[in-house]
Amino acid sequence: MRKFAASTALTAIAMMVGASAAHADFWSDAGKAYEGVTIRGVSESTPPSNYVKDVLAPAFTEATGIKVEFEATSWDQMYDKAIKDMEANTGIYDFVYIEQDIVYSYLSRDFLVDLTKALADNPDLKAPTFNFDEFTSFIDYFKNDDGDVFGVPMEAFVKIYLYRKDLFGDQEAKDAFKAKYGYDLAPATTHQQYKDIADFFTQWGKDHDMELWGTTVQAHSGHPASWYEFFESWGPTFGVYNWGIDASNNYAASVANGGSMNGPKAKEALAYWLDLLNDAPPEATQSTWDEVAATFAAGRAAQGLVYGENAAWIAADDTKSNVVGNVGVALPPLSDGVMAEVEGGTGYIGYYDGGAFGIPHSSKNKEATLLFLQYIGQDEVQPGWAIAAPRITHTATYADPDVMKMDAELDGYYTLLKDKGPLFAGAPPYPFHAQVREATAPFFYEAIIGQLTADEALDKMAEAAEAELTKLGYRK
Amino acid sequence: MNSQKTGWLLLAPTLVILFIFGVVPFLYVLVTSFVHWNAFAADPTPHFAGVDNYRQLVFDDQFIFSIWQTARFAFFVVLSELVLGYMLARLMLSDFPFKGLFRTIHALPLMVAPIAVGATWRLLTVPGLGPLPYFLDTFFGYDYRIGSFADQAFFTTVVMDIWHWTPLVTLTLLAALSSLPKEPFEQAQIDGASRFQIFWYVTLPFLRPAILATVFIRMMDALRTVDEIWMLTGGGPAATTRYIGLYIWRVVFPKTDYGYGAAVSLVTLFLTIVLCWLLYVGLVARRGQKSVN
Repeated sequence: MRKFAASTALTAIAMMVGASAAHADFWSDAGKAYEGVTIRGVSESTPPSNYVKDVLAPAFTEATGIKVEFEATSWDQMYDKAIKDMEANTGIYDFVYIEQDIVYSYLSRDFLVDLTKALADNPDLKAPTFNFDEFTSFIDYFKNDDGDVFGVPMEAFVKIYLYRKDLFGDQEAKDAFKAKYGYDLAPATTHQQYKDIADFFTQWGKDHDMELWGTTVQAHSGHPASWYEFFESWGPTFGVYNWGIDASNNYAASVANGGSMNGPKAKEALAYWLDLLNDAPPEATQSTWDEVAATFAAGRAAQGLVYGENAAWIAADDTKSNVVGNVGVALPPLSDGVMAEVEGGTGYIGYYDGGAFGIPHSSKNKEATLLFLQYIGQDEVQPGWAIAAPRITHTATYADPDVMKMDAELDGYYTLLKDKGPLFAGAPPYPFHAQVREATAPFFYEAIIGQLTADEALDKMAEAAEAELTKLGYRK
Repeated sequence: MNSQKTGWLLLAPTLVILFIFGVVPFLYVLVTSFVHWNAFAADPTPHFAGVDNYRQLVFDDQFIFSIWQTARFAFFVVLSELVLGYMLARLMLSDFPFKGLFRTIHALPLMVAPIAVGATWRLLTVPGLGPLPYFLDTFFGYDYRIGSFADQAFFTTVVMDIWHWTPLVTLTLLAALSSLPKEPFEQAQIDGASRFQIFWYVTLPFLRPAILATVFIRMMDALRTVDEIWMLTGGGPAATTRYIGLYIWRVVFPKTDYGYGAAVSLVTLFLTIVLCWLLYVGLVARRGQKSVN
């Protein structure tokens, strides 16, 4: 793994040196006017962000003379700081992380600079190596109705079904599974299969005195991560889309008013998800996205839905992961009819997550920041970034030889992202994202610890969602 | 007259700073509490709402539950820290080997930032990683999961706070105990008072000012605790540890409901002042009146 890390770093540096040599004139010339300027940004501390902080920002400083102060912090703090700064117009941050699900809120408040317009207005600042057309369709999430871009995508990945190839390929386990369930042990394609596998490996762990459970569950009982796991990952696999809120029908959430947040599919999905807790490691109710990845990497779960940004280190970094070489990748299990709805354009099978960097109107260094965003948005820097953290934002990155090699190590994750990515979707275009989440989450947490049943929780959540939407003025 | 002018002149910088950083924000929160204002509402501009926000909180089950849980939390931590702190202070008055080292180690938690305390306790309590669940299971067969069991989470936050802040109580009471005059104790011994009688009738009255100051400080701290709890449990499981500070944070920041958040903050401040006033009346004013009578 050390050898892999060293070669990855060398490749990345070599590519950047090559890139900066080829376009040295532009970056140094453009940077001259801003030499000594310090731009500040805030982002969530994730593998892709840390690569920007540790590799791309220093390389940009070397090429342009513009210093970059990059604050990588927790998800909650990142939002707090960015929103407070933009709301108060203080101008502390020159670029902020825009998670795909919050972009509609930011656009509704006109927090962000129109990058398309900014580049058109400042042709001297347009890097020859930067082109919006080189990005994957994920960039569409950061456009307004006119097609103008407000954020440079820096990460894009899907929440994927990971499973332990060593366990799934173990002959004794295969035989025992077939004997018990009457079909072959393989990555689940239906919910019943997923539950069977979870039950089986939980029992397998007990029988073999192993610290092993059947599935990860991102079920923190006091953090929105659990809410997201349900509404963005598991709900869609049961046919519950857009959180069960019908935006075209006066933002109805309850079945009584035409929504589906407390509909039969949602109730079936939540009951199923809560039942998975019986096959999850004991840390599940304290697990956000980070802990789920850690649990899987520790070898404590046979399968689970894990954010793709963590797939690389789980699959390949033996300094952090106990399951290197044993990670399989597949699509999540689905209910009957979901794939037909996806093909018909009315559904999706899971969450296409990611984010971009945007420039707040409050920034005092917009031009220098515009250079930085173009620097990290060049084709040349993408392969090294994709290898360090499995995120792909450019179409050309898939064909890079090093990325293809990494793809094999990740059991075809990049291929799956490329071919099956369109089956997944980002968050619905709601400007009230956090508000509805916070209004409904308390009931969801109560369901996790058994204070409410799935049905009771969803009924209360639908009612709370509609009350909040009415209060916010979206629901009339 | 001249010296009065000089006095006001010398006080002026402090008064200006207090006005800017104390009075102005308070007035801002007060005004905000009378508006409907959400940054991501269909209309994000503030609108006068009269007393709507205050009316809303009267019927807000989550707010009332948070107040109740906070009161329980404050009761347990302040009482426990006072008793433990007093016992430790008495212990530190006596001589024993490595007393200096013990005193230093004992005070170390005070130097740790609350957020780091929360992070440390989170690591201690996560099943599969933390030693607490492991040892409790190995030696007592106790299923310790603060993400799943409400009572466990509540008392873990109580224990964490006691661990963090008892040294402050100890040091305050140690200072008070060290400065007590010897004569009344000698007199009490000569009069044949028992140890309990000496504690109740001599030590406690002498310590009352220090105890009251400590109780006030710790109670106000406990009522506004946020960082440690946010890091350890996030307010969960469900609403078990969503103490009022965390509740306000959720309303104001993720939910961006500034008007309602301001109203909740002011009512919480009012309740804190009332509680302190009741304590003051109950423990200080009445006592003073008795002494006069």
